[in-house]
Amino acid sequence: MKFRSTVAAGMSAALLVGMLGGAVSAQDPVVATPGQDVKMMLLPKFLGILPFDQANQGAMEAATELANPSAFDFVGPTAENSVAGQIEFMTNAPTGGYKVVMLSNNAGDQIGPVAAAAVAAGTKVVTWDSPIPTAEGESVFIAQVDFTETGKVMADMALSILGEDGGKFAILSASPDAANQNAWIAAMQEALASDPKYAGLELLETVYGDDQSEKSYEQAQALLSKYPDMELIMAPTSVGIVAAAKALQDEGLCDSVKVSGLGVPAEMVEYTLNGCAPEFALWSFVDLGYLTYYVSYLIGSGALQGAEGEVFKVGRPISGNDTFTITKDPTRDAGLRVLMGPFTVYNAENVEAAAK
Amino acid sequence: MDALLRRFRPEQLRELILLLVIVGMVVFFATQIDQYLAARPVNRITTGLAITAVVAVGQVLVVLTRNIDLSVGSSVGLVAYVVGTLLTRWTEMPPLVAVGLSVGIGVLLGAINGLLVAYGRVPSIIATLGTLALYRVVLVEFSGAKTVTTADLPDWLNDIPSANVASFEGYDLRVMVAVALVAVIIGQLMLRYLSFGRRLYAIGSNPDAARVSGLPARRDVFLAFTLCGALAGLAGFMFLVRFGNITVTAAQGLELQVVAAVVVGGVAIAGGSGSMVGAFMGVLLIEILQQSLLRWAEISEFVKDAILGLLILLAVATDTVVLGRLRERWVRIRRRDQEERLAAAPGEAADVR
Repeated sequence: MKFRSTVAAGMSAALLVGMLGGAVSAQDPVVATPGQDVKMMLLPKFLGILPFDQANQGAMEAATELANPSAFDFVGPTAENSVAGQIEFMTNAPTGGYKVVMLSNNAGDQIGPVAAAAVAAGTKVVTWDSPIPTAEGESVFIAQVDFTETGKVMADMALSILGEDGGKFAILSASPDAANQNAWIAAMQEALASDPKYAGLELLETVYGDDQSEKSYEQAQALLSKYPDMELIMAPTSVGIVAAAKALQDEGLCDSVKVSGLGVPAEMVEYTLNGCAPEFALWSFVDLGYLTYYVSYLIGSGALQGAEGEVFKVGRPISGNDTFTITKDPTRDAGLRVLMGPFTVYNAENVEAAAK
Repeated sequence: MDALLRRFRPEQLRELILLLVIVGMVVFFATQIDQYLAARPVNRITTGLAITAVVAVGQVLVVLTRNIDLSVGSSVGLVAYVVGTLLTRWTEMPPLVAVGLSVGIGVLLGAINGLLVAYGRVPSIIATLGTLALYRVVLVEFSGAKTVTTADLPDWLNDIPSANVASFEGYDLRVMVAVALVAVIIGQLMLRYLSFGRRLYAIGSNPDAARVSGLPARRDVFLAFTLCGALAGLAGFMFLVRFGNITVTAAQGLELQVVAAVVVGGVAIAGGSGSMVGAFMGVLLIEILQQSLLRWAEISEFVKDAILGLLILLAVATDTVVLGRLRERWVRIRRRDQEERLAAAPGEAADVR
């Protein structure tokens, strides 16, 4: 597939930059010393969906490997209380004796001051999955993929489903406060506007299903009523994408309208095989949890300062790569990131294997 | 106006007004939204209101007794998730067993509420606020962060949402909608003709008087909560059928929608007054409004909730003011008529109420 090579090229370019950065500071990669006591908290957007559970698995793998005597706490708010709940967990983290909070931010910039206060009280903040947009209080962001790349991958999937001439599509997102979804949507819009090959793709509207099945389902149905000529629903959220696919299937409309976006293979396999969602993408949340825990452990134990140019090594390779560099985050005005990558695009050929 | 009031009770007049508002709203949206009255959108909207309607029937029973059940959202979600999980493990489970199991779990959850309120004397708003959180946490713990997905559910279940009882030129009466209608009708008949139904009104109008006059008030309140739980269980099954993909947030916030519908439908939050038909119209109003706003391009995503809230306030406020006036007038007219009749034929006074 064409865009997969683009992704790969983008990735290797990023890696190259990373390695150069490492070379300039002439550092050997930092290696973790196992057995140090670092009390940490893994704080997802909310509890109860598969991707975050997979991240928890990955973090547990790293925790076992690093033999941290303090087991980390996997805690989080419920979905409807996500923003207030996250702020509360963050506020109380220093009192709870946590050295590092691993945060998938769902509270937009509102959590910035709280994170900064936590840092002042001795608790570091490492974000993953979804960063703090202003980077206030954040040591580093563990980016699953390059956010600009996400926009292109979504645009490429749309093009591949709708054909070279493009067509009309709508976006079904999570909550309006979700920093990662908002960044991906912005990146996709930018890709649509800047590259003439996407000229045929017309974005009708962006709606929000708040990562609730029923709300996403009804939003998808409403889109179908509102835009009879819509040919694709792009849902960059694992809850939205299955809800939209189910809505299409219930209506018997999978022949004329398709679903794509970001989804978990185990939840999507049926819809990919029956043609409702011919293509979707995701990265490994297990790897993301693993890498996040590793970085947080290094930062919490003082081996890493969370400064630009620092290079470190993790215990097992992630997609063939075990050395990572902290770089400036080009997708935000401020902030540092560690880029994991890459995307896997799933279709009828590889989805079954991934679902197991 | 007086002529109308001689024919109808104020409550009936109110239902008539509600019906007119619904018709007016549909006509308005039909002018605003393309293809609004075409078969597909109509089927979508009617299927969408079935779950709320079933939960609302149970809620009416509770609200009539001057109580409230806020836990229904969590009950629906818990039942949908638990039964969904069991169905993915035991795919040969007969459909009737699955429905029975859903209702059974609902009965259990409702009975806990009933025990707390009727026998534990905890105010219902506190008790069910507690179980609202409790049932949700039970669900979060039970789920282990997994999602029930349609792929793992048996085919018969996934076929229900599009199954029809009757169809006319593309306009379907879906099984789910039929179930909701049956629930409303049975509920209405029960309230009107069963002594249990009449007692619910008596208890809600004046709990102390009901108790003093020897009504089994506690048992009846307990039963009302249990029935409400049973219907929430049934709705939980319908939720599983309709959405298929069940996460721990399933049906979160449904309780507010149901309470809003019931109140807009004229069931007094202070108990003792209201009907199933009224509540069903409340469901119609709120659900049609919500679904239509989603489809109305003129309005941004964020204004919709505000409009909905405003309309609920408006409905309840005008209701208190207008209905209060109407009732005063109704009483006056009755009294005047009575006096006139008394003056005309003094001997018949005993028969006139």
